[in-house]
Parts: sequence; C-alpha cells; structure tokens
Amino acid sequence: MLSKSQAKAFFIGGTLIFGSIFIALTIDSMKQVPTRTHEEKMTAQVVRGKKIWDKNNCMGCHTLFGEGAYYAPELTKAFDRRGGPWLKVFLKDPEAMFPGQRKMVNYHFNDAQIEEVIAFLKWCGEVDLNGFPAKPPLRDLMIKPAAASSTPAVSRAAGPQPGIFGALCVACHSIGGQGGAVGTALDSVFARKTRDEIAIWIADPAKVKPGTLMPKLPLAQDQIDSLADYLTSFGGAR
Amino acid sequence: MKFKSQQIAYWYFATALLFFSLQIVYGFIMAFAHIGYDVLHPFIAFNTARAVHTNLLVVWLITGFMGSAYFMIPEESDRELWSPKLAIVQLIALIAVGVTAVIGFHFNWWEGRKFLEIPRELDYLVVVDILAFLLNIGMTIFKGKRFTSTALVLYMGLLFAALLYLPGMLDFDNQTRDSFYRWWVVHLWVEGVWELIMGGILCYLLIKLTGVDREVVEKWLYVIVGLTFVSGILGTGHHYYYIGTPKYWLLIGGIFSALEPIAFLAMAIAAVTMVRKGERKHENRLALSWTLACAILSFVGAGFLGIAHTIPGVNLYTHGTLVTAMHGHLAFWGAYACINLAMMAYAMPLLTGRKLFDTAGSLWAFWLSNVGMVSMTGALAVAGVSQVMLERRMGLDFMTVQREIEVHFIGMVLAASLFSLGIFLFVLNFIRYGTPRWEGPK
Repeated sequence: MLSKSQAKAFFIGGTLIFGSIFIALTIDSMKQVPTRTHEEKMTAQVVRGKKIWDKNNCMGCHTLFGEGAYYAPELTKAFDRRGGPWLKVFLKDPEAMFPGQRKMVNYHFNDAQIEEVIAFLKWCGEVDLNGFPAKPPLRDLMIKPAAASSTPAVSRAAGPQPGIFGALCVACHSIGGQGGAVGTALDSVFARKTRDEIAIWIADPAKVKPGTLMPKLPLAQDQIDSLADYLTSFGGAR
Repeated sequence: MKFKSQQIAYWYFATALLFFSLQIVYGFIMAFAHIGYDVLHPFIAFNTARAVHTNLLVVWLITGFMGSAYFMIPEESDRELWSPKLAIVQLIALIAVGVTAVIGFHFNWWEGRKFLEIPRELDYLVVVDILAFLLNIGMTIFKGKRFTSTALVLYMGLLFAALLYLPGMLDFDNQTRDSFYRWWVVHLWVEGVWELIMGGILCYLLIKLTGVDREVVEKWLYVIVGLTFVSGILGTGHHYYYIGTPKYWLLIGGIFSALEPIAFLAMAIAAVTMVRKGERKHENRLALSWTLACAILSFVGAGFLGIAHTIPGVNLYTHGTLVTAMHGHLAFWGAYACINLAMMAYAMPLLTGRKLFDTAGSLWAFWLSNVGMVSMTGALAVAGVSQVMLERRMGLDFMTVQREIEVHFIGMVLAASLFSLGIFLFVLNFIRYGTPRWEGPK
C-alpha cells in the first residue's frame, strides 16, 4: 500500500508536472490571442468601450463571451443581433425600449461613450470563440410553419423596406415571421389602421394609448413617413 | 482549548457569520428581482446585489478560513500564536476593507470583473492584510515545537491563495486576455488552492473527531490534494472553451474536468470510511455531521454537478446560463461553507466551555440549511435547464424565456427561506455559546 511519503511525492510531482504544462499552454495561448481576437481591430475607441464596460460592472447582469451574470441578455453577438442604430437608441434610455419589463440602469452615457460601447461590442462579436454562441439547433423546426403561412401575402405587395425598420422595429415586431415577438406582427396592420393613424402612433405611442409598451423612438418626420408608407404598402390597392 | 491565543478564532467566526447573513439578504434581493419584484432597483440594482452577494461569500469564507487557521495552528504547532495583537489588527482591517467595498458597490465603485469586483485601491489593502496573516501563521509554524503535514498543507493553501490573487490585479485591454487571467484567480482558487485549505481543515477535524491515526489521515490528505492539482490545474481549460482562446482547450479542459470529480469522490469516501472505522466516538456529533456534509455535498455540488456541464458539447449550450448558478450554489455550500461551519461547530464548545452541540436548535440548523440548499439547487436546475432548452436550443428571445422560468424563482425563494431559517438557527446557537472563556493559567 501507498506510504505517506509516496503520497506526498505524488502531490508535489503531479503539481509540478501539470503546473508546467499549464504554463506552457498559457504561453502558446497568449501567442494566438492577437490573431484569434483580431487585435489589430482593437482601436482606442474599442478599448475605451471596454473601460466603460468594466467601470459600470455590466457583467453584473449581462454575460459577454458567456461570462457574467444571468439576469440580462448575452451580449457577444449584440451588435449582429440588434445593429448600431438600435443599440444607440437603447443605450440612451434603456427602460424606454422595454417599458414595464426587467430594468437596466440608465448610465446617462454621452454620444461618444455610446459609440465606444458599441465599438467594443462589435469587436467582441468578431472574436473567434470556437463556435459560441451556437446557432439554436431546434430553431428551424419551430418557426418554419409560421413563416410559410404569412410570407406569400407580404412578399406580393410590399413596398421597399426602410432601413430604419430593419434596424429598430424588428427588435420587437415581425413581418413575414421574421423579427421579435414582443410587439404584434405587422403583416396586416394596414387592414386595421390608416397611414396617418400609423404615423401618429409611431410619433408618440403613449399619447394614443396611455400605458402602451411601445416606446417613443427618436425618429425624424421623414423616417416616420417612410415607415407608415411601408406598413400600408402591404394593402396593395389602398 | 489548549492555548489562550486560539480565542481569536471566535472573533473571526463571528465576523464570518455576520457577512454570511448579509450575503443571504442580497441573495433574496436577486431572487425577487428574477420574479419581477425589483422595487429596490433604483437603490440596489441587480449588478450591485450580485457583486455584494458573491464578494461577501468570498470574504466570509476567507474570514472563516483565517479563524480556522488561528484555531488549528497553535495546536498543530504546540505553541501560542506568534502575535495575537497582529491577528486582531488584521481582522479589523479585513472588516474595514469588506465594509468599504460593499458600500462602494452601491455607488458604482468597483472593477467590473466577475468575482473580483473589489476596486484596485482596496486590492492593495487586501494584499497587505493577507501578508500580515501569512506572517503570523508562518511564524507560529516556524517557531513551533511540532511540524505536521496538516499544518503544512493548510499553510501552502493559504500562501498560494495569496499569490494567485495577484494575476487578478493585472490590467488588460483585450477582453480575452483579461478573462484568461481572471480565471487564474477564480478557478485556481476554488478548484485548486482553496481545496488545500479545505483538505487541511477536514484532515484536522477527522483526526480530532474519529481518532483515526494521524499518519493514515495525512496520507489520504496528500493523495486527495494531489488528485485535486493533477486534474484541477489543467481543468482550468473548461473556462477557456469559448472566450477566444485556442481550440485545444476544448480537449484538455474536457478531459481534465472529467477527472476533477475523482478528487472529491476520494475525499467523500475517505471521510465516510474514517468515520466508520474510527475508534473514538467523539461527543460532538454535530461537528462530525457538518464534516460529513462537507465531504459528501462537495462531491455532489462541485464534482458531479460540475462535470454535468463541463463536457464541451454540453457547455456550448449551458455556458452563460443559470445552469452555472445551479452548480455554483451547491459547490460553494458543500465545499467551503460546510467546512467553515464544521470548524465552528467543533471549535465553539472548546472555546467557550459550553456544550451546546446536541441542542434541538443546532440539529434543526444542520438539517434545514442543508435541505434548503439542496432544494435551491433543484430550483435553479429546473430554471437553468429550461433556459438552455428554450433559449439556447430553440432560439427564443431572452426575456420571453425569463418570463417563462420566473415561476422557478418562487421555488427558489421558498427553498431559500428554509435555508435561511437554518442559518438563523445556527447563528442563534452561536450567540448562545457566548464569548470565549479561558480556564487555563493567566
């Protein structure tokens, strides 16, 4: 049977051997980090964004690279998912975007700081993470039937989609089964509202229906007009 | 109690329990926020509650370890503590750092790095404090009449824990590098050197409580901490799967994480065997219960629930979900909270001369807190697995899924109430013991 000194030798020897391997792998990993993380794209703006990220303990609610807390969404692909314009509006006033829901602290960032945070998130989204976050393997099984039933009606009559629609509205609303599920699907909104009603609604939702979950977005009049035109274009002849 | 200076341990234990109680309060704040009751949000946002909850955990466990060391080392070295005064000053400094950090978290004063949120200025104080502690314990061992393996392993654990705090103070602009070295602290602490500390304390308790020969217990101690390091060092790889580090970590992390439960299993088996074979029937059965709870629950929480999601193919979907919180709760409870409570249960009758170990309150404290924590783990497991399935596998929106799993946090709050009642009774019993009494020569 094993003696005490043999057990001690096993402990010290094992620690030294595996500790050395760990150090060697660390050195190799650090050599690979610049290419895997595209360090050349890590501009001063990105670094300032990371400082803001750290300074406000964003990891205390969110995860990034899957690390942090589990109270708020994983943000590695936030830039891909939401796009710059949406993030910009959201960071100005987080609660306005999701009224009555889980809250985020408003840090009162100025425009430059918001750009820095977005630049940091964009850089994070491009790091090679060995396939994380994975594409949900069951997603296709779930949304195919819904998309199949509504897609034809839309694609036949729709006018050109304004860029702002893809940047902001789809975060909550869907067209042809594509988009968020927080707000109602907008495929047939033309049948319920006139163009002007839609324009007034978008300009200030709470004025039309107090207590609504839809936030007042900082849109210019021509953006509102283009959205109203787009949403009524599904009606074809109207 | 053989040496007068062992009394200092009492004040460390009392501080640890105070921080522990506060940690639980902030846990409730988070659980209620998950259900949707976030009225405290303007004053204590989730990230504040979270930082307080995890940092208080670290602080109270370390305070408990220090208390345990101050109780054990004089006896192991067969002499009084090198400097009881330094031990008192060091405790006061530790409390000051802890309290300042906790208050700072409420005013956005922190480093946003998970588990290491304590601001840099305070980090230096932590280092000074730990150095004072290591000096005190080190000098006691060095000047002692006896030199035991138990004391050596405990001291090595404490020393490496201090050294490994340093990589956490490095600054990196690259998120990947930042995260890489953050795990040098966090992983190599809890799945490495802290296990030396835990092993040392466990060993001491088993020697005292079971009467098994010291040589046999210490041999097993070396085997267990050997297994811990052989698997645990490269097991750090399970944190390097998806943070921008090379792909070989998937293989290395996967293999060595799979070996990590062996150390915990060996510990559980060794403890149970020694308790069965030991000839001495120590009257403090409560301390023995806590010791066994530690050995067994650390295997379940840290070992089994760990390997349940460190397999790379599984972790791809569970990484960054409540599944991690599920594992974290039982792992920390089993491995580190229980060993501290075991040490308190053992030391308090000796420190105060009152034998309150077979009271109804202390038994209820044991069962309620353990059953409560296992139930909390269950609630988090259901919430976590549901989140993985709905969000990561099916691709539903984050908040849609969070509303779907809210109900499990009601379960979490109920289980946590049971747990808290247990801890309340433990604290009550601790208070009933009163302060230490010295009956030896002045």
